Amino acid sequence: MQTHSSTTIAGSTADPEADPIIELHNVHFSYAGADEEALRGVTLSVTAGEHLCVLGSNGSGKSTLAQLINALLAPTDGSARVCGIDTAAQPERTLELRRQVAMVFQHPDDQMVTSVVADDVAFGPENLGVPQPRIAARVEEALAAVDMLDYAQADPADLSGGQRQRIAIAGALAMHPRVLVLDEPAAMLDVAGRRAIQRITRNLNERGITIVHITHFMDDALIAGRVVVMDRGRIALEGTPEEVFAQRDAILSLGLEPPFTLQLAHRLEAVLPELPAASDAEELARTIAYAATANTSTRSGAPRPTMPTRSGAHRTAAPARSGGNSSFGSDFPPENSHFTPEREQEAQAATPSAAQTAAIEFRDVTFSYADEQNARKRLGLLARLRKRRGRHATPHDPCGPLALDSVSFTVPAGSLTALIGHTGSGKSTTVELACALKVPNVGAVRVNGIDTADLSRRSELRSQVGYVAQLPERQLFAQTVFDDVAFGPRNLALSDAEVSDRVNEALALVGLAATPELLGRSPFALSGGQQRAVAIAGVLAMCTPILVLDEPMAGLDPAGQRRMRKLIAQLKHDGRTILVVTHSMDDVAELADHVVALEHGHLAAVGTPRQVFAQAAKHVPGVPAALAFSQRLEEHGVTLGSNPLTLDELVDCLAKHLGGAFPEEVRHGRPH
Amino acid sequence: MAVRISIGRYYSADSPIHRLDPRLKLIAAIIYMASCLFVSNVPTLLLAGALIVLAMALARVPLGRVLSQIKPAMHFLVITSLFNLFFVHTGTVLATIGPFSFTTGGVSSAVFYTLRFLLLLLMGSLLMLTTQPMAITDAVERLFSPLERLGVPVSQATLILSIALRFVPVLSQDAQNIVVAQTARGAQLEGKGALSYARACVPLLVPLFASAVRHADNLGRAMDARCYTGGPERTHYHVMRFARRDAVAAAVLALYLVALAAASLFA
Repeated sequence: MQTHSSTTIAGSTADPEADPIIELHNVHFSYAGADEEALRGVTLSVTAGEHLCVLGSNGSGKSTLAQLINALLAPTDGSARVCGIDTAAQPERTLELRRQVAMVFQHPDDQMVTSVVADDVAFGPENLGVPQPRIAARVEEALAAVDMLDYAQADPADLSGGQRQRIAIAGALAMHPRVLVLDEPAAMLDVAGRRAIQRITRNLNERGITIVHITHFMDDALIAGRVVVMDRGRIALEGTPEEVFAQRDAILSLGLEPPFTLQLAHRLEAVLPELPAASDAEELARTIAYAATANTSTRSGAPRPTMPTRSGAHRTAAPARSGGNSSFGSDFPPENSHFTPEREQEAQAATPSAAQTAAIEFRDVTFSYADEQNARKRLGLLARLRKRRGRHATPHDPCGPLALDSVSFTVPAGSLTALIGHTGSGKSTTVELACALKVPNVGAVRVNGIDTADLSRRSELRSQVGYVAQLPERQLFAQTVFDDVAFGPRNLALSDAEVSDRVNEALALVGLAATPELLGRSPFALSGGQQRAVAIAGVLAMCTPILVLDEPMAGLDPAGQRRMRKLIAQLKHDGRTILVVTHSMDDVAELADHVVALEHGHLAAVGTPRQVFAQAAKHVPGVPAALAFSQRLEEHGVTLGSNPLTLDELVDCLAKHLGGAFPEEVRHGRPH
Repeated sequence: MAVRISIGRYYSADSPIHRLDPRLKLIAAIIYMASCLFVSNVPTLLLAGALIVLAMALARVPLGRVLSQIKPAMHFLVITSLFNLFFVHTGTVLATIGPFSFTTGGVSSAVFYTLRFLLLLLMGSLLMLTTQPMAITDAVERLFSPLERLGVPVSQATLILSIALRFVPVLSQDAQNIVVAQTARGAQLEGKGALSYARACVPLLVPLFASAVRHADNLGRAMDARCYTGGPERTHYHVMRFARRDAVAAAVLALYLVALAAASLFA
């Protein structure tokens, strides 16, 4: 990226002008047919060259705000002036405004008009009537700015989500905007994709483009100059990232989650009472390292001071964890029990042993899309013969690229197994094989002992394993919530009374009260979060002992993610075996007791989270934030001894390590 | 991994055929394909065959790629040629087996019918293999742009075509995801009888329709944000210039047409 930073993307001057480039004054907005206003009096001004981050949970009005800035919506009351143009009073100048304010949306797929990357980037300049010879230069420049020049002739369908979103940003940049509005550009991306977007937005801002970044990821906000937090159509908090995140309780009550370093700093306050509130991980690590070294030097001379008890540390930590509203029962395991010996034992028990039953078993599974066979159809005689021979004689039976190559692992019964790997590592294929939605070319998949290739036991198998697809709300189809949730149970040929019971139970489990009003509503009339809850209820209603969840957190805001984590913990507590695909290593550390890591269609590692992160760190997409921080501490000379995976464990480790003795310098100010 | 419904996959290479002006390539391919219908004897067959062999050699597309493109149509060709063989009874009788008699006319129409369509298909697949779909829609837009003056929304129509091509893989992936999700919920996707089949489709079609509407809604907003108005002031990224090689190609085609006309008249 740095190599391109000399070229200027912004066509116009980016000097901080005295006049604000975006000026919203007491803006109200309500969607047609909506009871409540989406925006209820927003006043905000942004100066040219600023990097503004707009945070807020789902439904807080932040997307509406983005569309107002780009004149895709006009305020119903109040005024919005962008680049000196009043969006409501001067509709004839809308185009002039959009030339200067480009926008990137959440779904990269829905922003592209052609099947060639370069042509798509050229779409904006073409619309602006840029003379032909200059379009090519703009396309090249914009693709270089997002590091995608090598993909100019590619088909977007062949790119990853992160790459596609970078193309969408290039498409916006090619219009030479003064302002770039990004509406949750990373909501559907993995960590690597999100990091790339952060890097790009920062670079663009350094080149003078005003950035308005709408997001619910707190770490996006750390790189911004100013943060605005929206809540139910109003601005709830405003200030620099440090100022905003200092208001921890407010952040939590708004359904957001402070960034990891701030959470850690807050938790350590009990142990290191006067630790500076640092949002920068490096600074925090340095401070802790300083405290630790000072501590050991005092310790060598004087008798060791008393250590604060662990329960004390936990007590202060409690609000951080229980911030989310608990719509579920109160009888599931306390989340703070992770670092206890029980968890380690549990983890040990979860590793496959001969005596233990495997809920899902993959044995030498090879799968290729090139010669996929229909999972619903019986094999022809020839194919069966070929397959049988292939299993014994020819190892190269499947042709074409292999999505999975001799993968063997088990998901122990009762475990919560996380399936991790980079994009394209074969996770989705594995999930579909586990749910008998595909059958292996070579090898066998058994679900509770049933071979997925055995068609005669297919319906029995369906009652064993439930599958929550990615963005499950997209499979809703029925006219009422009841009918949708009842679809699965009815396919199991249950009686009406049983179906009705199951629907009520499943909805209760996902935190929705099964009132007649809700049951009779169209699922399409629900909010995004409720739609997902209903879709998941539709799978839970099948009461399968095994559940497979593919990226259940994708697109959810922090409060939604917290609810989802609780639901998963509850399901495990109820004794279900869970296989969850996730790209959040923190979720792996927090939830899972068994991990299966894939890399390029091969099995990269299997074991407890601790084993996998310690021994196979190179083969997994990342490490939990707590482990990353402890590694950073190690660079500063602080070795914690064990590998903390969660925030709780890290705090415990640090409490033990630091012992509670504090050098004067830390108490009174920062070290240099 | 997305299932790609390929409407003739582009084969990336740098050849004289790849570099031809897509407008010329499109028109020439259509003219050639029309001319194939006049292939009715050995000289015309040789002429048309020679031209496609020349084009394929210049295009540097592996023969396997070309053949795999036309493979799905082969069944159809075999069946129609058998029909010709059995049911055309012109000319002299060559042999009689049971109730069937084979005549010279039957044999020749079977052979020519098949080869004629083979040539036609080869040219079609060569066009798709050497021209990106976007270049074809662009060419269509330029060729029909005079109609804009008569009020025909040519550029809008070609943009629709381009978006349709763009969304084929997106929607096919959506459809696949929906099938998988509903199958896991125990949906019976192979109902017996028309009515139960239609009913079985509801859990698939409703979400697919909803997803198409969602894509359309988002895309419309994104196009608005990118200043699309569909007006005449739009410029074009790709230059289409009639170069020397295009003139040469046009001349070759013209000569071929003259020769074909001569061969079919005097034969």
